[in-house]
Amino acid sequence: MNRSLPFEIFRYSVITLALAITLIPTLWMASMAFKPIAEWSAAGADLTWWPKNPTLDNFRFIFGTSTSDLIVALDRTAGKPILSSLLSAVFGTLIAMGCGTAAAYGLSRFGSGQNLPLALIQLRLFPPMAVMIPVMIMWAFLGMVDSWWGLALIYGIVTLPFAFWLMKTFFDDMPREIEDAALVEGCSRGRVFLKITLPMMRPALASSALFVFILNWSDYLIALLLTTREWVTIPVYMASLSSSMTGQLYGAKAALGLIAAVPPVIMGIAIQRHLVRGLTFGALKQ
Amino acid sequence: MTAIRLENLVKRFGAFTALKTMDLEIRNGEFMALLGPSGCGKSTTMNMIAGMESPSEGRILFDDKDMNGVAMGRRGVGFVFQNYAIFTHMNVHDNLAYGLRVRKLPESEVDSRVKAIAEFLQLTPLLKQPSAKLSVNILQRLAIGRSAIVEPAIFLLDEPLSNVDAAFRAVMRTELKHLQRQFRQTMVYVTHDQLEAMTMADRIAVMDHGVLQQVGTPLEVYNNPANLFVAGFIGSPGMNLLKGSLADSDRGLVVNLGEMGRSQPLDPELVSAVRQSGSREVVYGFRPERVSLSGTAEGMPLPVTFVERIGARTVVHLGAGEQRVKAVFDNDAAVESGSTVSIAIEPASVRLFDAGTGIAIRGT
Repeated sequence: MNRSLPFEIFRYSVITLALAITLIPTLWMASMAFKPIAEWSAAGADLTWWPKNPTLDNFRFIFGTSTSDLIVALDRTAGKPILSSLLSAVFGTLIAMGCGTAAAYGLSRFGSGQNLPLALIQLRLFPPMAVMIPVMIMWAFLGMVDSWWGLALIYGIVTLPFAFWLMKTFFDDMPREIEDAALVEGCSRGRVFLKITLPMMRPALASSALFVFILNWSDYLIALLLTTREWVTIPVYMASLSSSMTGQLYGAKAALGLIAAVPPVIMGIAIQRHLVRGLTFGALKQ
Repeated sequence: MTAIRLENLVKRFGAFTALKTMDLEIRNGEFMALLGPSGCGKSTTMNMIAGMESPSEGRILFDDKDMNGVAMGRRGVGFVFQNYAIFTHMNVHDNLAYGLRVRKLPESEVDSRVKAIAEFLQLTPLLKQPSAKLSVNILQRLAIGRSAIVEPAIFLLDEPLSNVDAAFRAVMRTELKHLQRQFRQTMVYVTHDQLEAMTMADRIAVMDHGVLQQVGTPLEVYNNPANLFVAGFIGSPGMNLLKGSLADSDRGLVVNLGEMGRSQPLDPELVSAVRQSGSREVVYGFRPERVSLSGTAEGMPLPVTFVERIGARTVVHLGAGEQRVKAVFDNDAAVESGSTVSIAIEPASVRLFDAGTGIAIRGT
């Protein structure tokens, strides 16, 4: 390790810049969530990093227990959108992972068609808007507009390609000998998949599921088009947090944003060791 | 305990023929090694016996029962993979117990058999350990144990020792042989390492380019190779093979070896064999171990190009033009590279091959 000083300076500058780009807005949001209106609105001329008078008013406001110093009252609280986001993202992830994993296993082990895997990404080849208008009409026809299950279904469909491709590479990497070793003992194909393949794939499943969940959780466009009132999700609800008097309610948005950041962070921490890709498949030596 | 018979077995992958019409009988309780360089079709043959691949043509019989269409789980074979294929999400005990549990044996019996096999393979202290972090040596033991525990009638091993270190390989060679003696399974062992094949196998099937070259006991294969491939492949270094043509001399039939001069007169047995075969152009073969330094003018004088001292023995490279020869002497042989030595070849060790077909010329 005998790097030159200029190189070290350069290295740390790049790292600092990269960290700043991600961390400053996040920290600003966290700080803003605890500021009273006077500190986050343009009225309070001096902006500070730390809230001078920390308060939970923003949280109380979005859950409807206080109107804070804002004269506005919200026509709905954040509770339902959080539930909507959770339900649609979780079930959407389950659909995508369930179908994606099954399809990936089938194609990885027995697949012959070259075009089939590619066909799965066609939904992603168009601009989302071009695809979403027909989907909107179909969903309206099926009576699934403004419902969490309708949203979950479309989430499952649009993230299926990601789940499929991620899982397919993992299945392709898993040596077939491990399955053969179980098969030669007289284990059935289905049992091999459930008892050997899937348990060994746990890290792959966890990281793919996290990725798919984050995609679903942060969607704005689809939810905007497919929900109207009852089941709007967090991003859609957040966009509506404004009033004619005060303009954008940044404090409330920041509070909601902080809440929205919790599930992915918890999931991320829970499967962190898997994300490092400590995949030691079958203790193989290649 | 089952005999295996391969009849006209052919395997093609698309346009590529991995195995060309193989016939082989593996006797009940025999240790058969399939030996050959990589890509010779030995693993393909093994996979077909196990049922992982189905033959393009021909039949595989276990005790006269056609195995075509029988799923690999119902063939009663144990298979040890080159890369172990250990279930890393299970601990050592559960890996060993796997085959028994699939067969729905009562848990008390599973436990006692796991203990017994663990004792045999010295895995007892590791039973509760997760299998993901074991060393390769232990993994290979575990893989063998997992297959052996169900006491399969046929035990198939695909290069099981190619990844383990040399010292452990030597230990395992003895242990595998011991295991086979104890359980008397029919064992098929795929390897590219002739030392493994020579030390463990009852018989060796030498293969190359999808063709079975020779089947015989280790000594038969070593002493009387059926063709040029086997002669060059078996032994380390392999047999010396020199192109030449037959010539009569006043001392009897000899082989004219070009730049190396003439060989010593051939043994009478070989003379009659070669006369019967009608070959003129031959390949003159002899083992490097059957060469001695000769002080007399009888020997062949050859320049020494390189001397390898490998501890127990000294391998001397000798050469004259195109014809190159290796000889193995004692470790203290007084040979220096650059000098010229005179060598004598033990007459009884000389083998002749037809230069055109490569097939050994032998008395009937």
